[in-house]
Amino acid sequence: MKGSTIGELEELVLLTVGSLYEHAYAVTILEVIKENTNRVLDVTAIHAVLRRLEKKGFVRSTMGGATQERGGRRKRFFTLSQAGRQTIEEVMLIRTSLYNKIPKLTFVSV
Amino acid sequence: MIQTPPKWANRFLEWFCNPDLLEDLQGDLYEMYEHKSKESVQSANFHFVWLVLRSIRYSVIQRNYQYENNLFAMTSNNFKIATRVLWHDKFNTGINLIGLTIGITCFILVGFYVQRELSFDRFHSKSDNIYRVWLKEVYAEDKIFFNSETPLRFETLLENNFDEIEFGVQFDLNNYLVGTGEDRTDETVGIISPEFFDVFDFNISSGNTETPLPDKNSIVLSENYAIKYFGGKSAVGGLISIQIGEELREFSVSAVFENIRESSSIQFDMAFSNENNLDLYGERAMNAWFSISPETYVLVKENSSISTVEEKLPELVMSLLEGRVEPGVYNIGFQPLTDIHLNSEIPPGIAPVGDKDSVYILGFISILVLVIACINYTTLSIGQSLKRSKEVGIRKVMGAFRSTLISQYITESMLITMIAMIAGIGFAFISVPAFNSLTGAGISLDFQPWHLGLYSGLALVIGISSGIYPAFVLSRLKVVTILRGSNLTNKNHFRKGMVVFQFFATVFLISSTLIMNKQLDYIHSKDLGYNYNTVVVVPLYPDPSSQRLSEFIGSAMEKGNLLKYKLEQYPSISDIGMGSHVFGTAGWGKLSFTDDNETFRQFRLLTVDPFYLNTFQIKMKLGRSFKPESTADEKEAIILNQAAVEYFGLKDPLNAQLPSMKFGEHQIIGVTEDFNFSSLHNEVDPLIITQNINILYPAISDHDYIDSPVPKLVFRYKGTQLTQLRTILETEWKSTFPEEDLNLGFVEENMQFLYENEQRTNQLVLIVTVISIIIASLGLLGLTVLVINSRVKEMGIRKVVGASDTTIFGLLARSFSLQLGIGILLSIPVTYWMMEQWLSDFAFQIPLSPWLFIVSAIISIVIALIAISYHAVKAATVNPVDSLRME
Repeated sequence: MKGSTIGELEELVLLTVGSLYEHAYAVTILEVIKENTNRVLDVTAIHAVLRRLEKKGFVRSTMGGATQERGGRRKRFFTLSQAGRQTIEEVMLIRTSLYNKIPKLTFVSV
Repeated sequence: MIQTPPKWANRFLEWFCNPDLLEDLQGDLYEMYEHKSKESVQSANFHFVWLVLRSIRYSVIQRNYQYENNLFAMTSNNFKIATRVLWHDKFNTGINLIGLTIGITCFILVGFYVQRELSFDRFHSKSDNIYRVWLKEVYAEDKIFFNSETPLRFETLLENNFDEIEFGVQFDLNNYLVGTGEDRTDETVGIISPEFFDVFDFNISSGNTETPLPDKNSIVLSENYAIKYFGGKSAVGGLISIQIGEELREFSVSAVFENIRESSSIQFDMAFSNENNLDLYGERAMNAWFSISPETYVLVKENSSISTVEEKLPELVMSLLEGRVEPGVYNIGFQPLTDIHLNSEIPPGIAPVGDKDSVYILGFISILVLVIACINYTTLSIGQSLKRSKEVGIRKVMGAFRSTLISQYITESMLITMIAMIAGIGFAFISVPAFNSLTGAGISLDFQPWHLGLYSGLALVIGISSGIYPAFVLSRLKVVTILRGSNLTNKNHFRKGMVVFQFFATVFLISSTLIMNKQLDYIHSKDLGYNYNTVVVVPLYPDPSSQRLSEFIGSAMEKGNLLKYKLEQYPSISDIGMGSHVFGTAGWGKLSFTDDNETFRQFRLLTVDPFYLNTFQIKMKLGRSFKPESTADEKEAIILNQAAVEYFGLKDPLNAQLPSMKFGEHQIIGVTEDFNFSSLHNEVDPLIITQNINILYPAISDHDYIDSPVPKLVFRYKGTQLTQLRTILETEWKSTFPEEDLNLGFVEENMQFLYENEQRTNQLVLIVTVISIIIASLGLLGLTVLVINSRVKEMGIRKVVGASDTTIFGLLARSFSLQLGIGILLSIPVTYWMMEQWLSDFAFQIPLSPWLFIVSAIISIVIALIAISYHAVKAATVNPVDSLRME
């Protein structure tokens, strides 16, 4: 079903939004991903993913207060929605259950 | 120091980005930029641009619905305000509306006329591949035969020898008596090739669509003629009799075609097949190389070009005419079908050729009128900037962008243009009949879908071009200056330039009209050397059995004499004569021969009876006219005109002979003054007048009659009642020639026909000039009001200090005088140049005297003064108390 599935980058961003809790906006998300996975992404790509996630209803956004930095422009903060939270849980569950089914032998034989 | 990212990239981002998403997105980019710029500004800049470009995604560009709604709301708001502004200032709106409406009406009408002229013959789907053949025989520098009517054999010659040519077809017109017994009428009948309808798009509406002309005895009719001859019944299969030579032949109608539209050079209402050519012209003409009769058209195949035919032609001609002509003498060429109507460099064939210059002059003038109307709007709007500056200030304070203001003002001009457009189209449609009858232009405004695009496009262009400059001027004003109340200077060179241009255009149009009028007056009043007033022309009919030209003329004159004796008893009819040509028709018989010194000579021939010269009161310069009773005169006498005496180089003409031994025995009995027998476009040609053409024909190598040489009866009518004349003629004609049709006409009418083209152009130019003067004076009126309004207090103070009414009027009038002066000066060289081009078409021209320019300058000054004075007088005479009391 379209809308409820989630891509790899989307999953990563969704997780990051969750982990950053109230401080998630495009630039911090970018930094966290870079720190944790060493993937150098383009901020515009993050923007696109966030807009997609918002459309699917996995995140919600609010505008922050004005600051002197950033040319006086406000930030758009993202938080996980109920649906987003649930999706993460499901994805993690599938992953661990699949992981547990891998026979240990596979590693030895290599 | 805080670095800022490249402005243009930023602005670009703001432009394409959805405003709802812009703020945080831009903020994020700024933040990234600030990070980067700590290391290197250059790479940060580069990175910023990169990110901006990377941001162009569908989800970013996409506008949401609410915003669209807002745009719509603003537009409708703009319209609402525009309506209020226009309604509020009724005087200016009125002036602009009237000016634009008249301008648009005039532009549409003249535009359609120009379009009609330029689109002649373009309605054929294969028009780009159809060419008319011409023949040019060059024997010497001044011995050139150039014709668009070509020998009969050309059709098969071209068709059979060139693969590039799909079809060759002939088109010719001839006069025949059609019908039987009492109902016989003289009709112009087409003679066309059977494949004619495959080449041209004349649609068959009923009958045989595949082969409209299956055989020699078939005839095709136009829908009009089908009704004329067969009434409501189906025409196909019906019979029509035509007198051809001595034989009365029956043709059966094989097809009916749709009436030929006016924008076609090829016009006919009935036509039979050219398979009859052998019967009509005889064996010799069919194979002749040096005769001219029909027009020949060729259709070139889709992927071939006419130039390859042109390259191969000389070789073919030389192989066929081996030994008969030198190389380079006999030249065949092709003229595109679409070129026929307006190209006067190639001689006209059957259809008359229009005047390209007039068409361009008219097109130019109609654009000029529209420009004048646009300038009115522009100058008046700029003039109002003073009034509206407060409005601009407040709007800016409320947060209006410059673009918002500009779109507001453009909306105003668009609104007024649209109203004017609708009114203009309405007027144009209403005035088509009046326009046609006034000018004889023959346009029709049948609505076609593309017109809608044209009209809205036109409205868009006019609206934007007249509104854009005021919009920029108004939106440029600085808020602080306006609201502080400091005086705005109203010096605007652009506006002054516009006014100069208007004056220039007006003076130009006035002087052109004056010159064109004067030239045409000159032509009409010029002493032509003969008197054609109240001369009536009645064409006679030759005996159907006549074979040779002399028999044609002789038999018709004999018949004419019968009528003449009957007419002589009426006191209101006098000076009856007969002649082969009358004045007012172009193309009198042109004959050529080679004289004893092997020089090629051409002259015009007029065959007359002894009374003809008397009827037209042609003056003799030397010798005498024909004596009515003298048989010697009838057999041998010839009269030359002065031009012929000079052309043949005769020292003592009365004792001389024509310069060729081959002429029959003849005696030159007199020399006439040079009377102008064709149009004043041409010089007077050498002319020989005789009663007996058999004297001349032995020496003649070629002849060319565009006007029929069959004699006409001419007489002076002294009565006043035209109906009376008609009754007399009809009774006498009926009793003399029961089978033929009576046609009568006045020479005066024919004379006018000769200058019809110029008359029409002149008429149109005159109308357009008057219109443009009206529009320009309207604009001037509006401007005066503006200027006066802004100077009311100044005038009040001047009066208090003691200035008289006249001083103040002078002061106001002077403010336009410089512009008027420059306008007049500029118009002189342009008018001079344009009119010289136009006049060069006439052999007899009026000189372009400085008086014409002075007169038109005075006219325009007077008009300007009238436009100014109404308000200026009011301003000058107003009581200063009224103008100053306000403070």
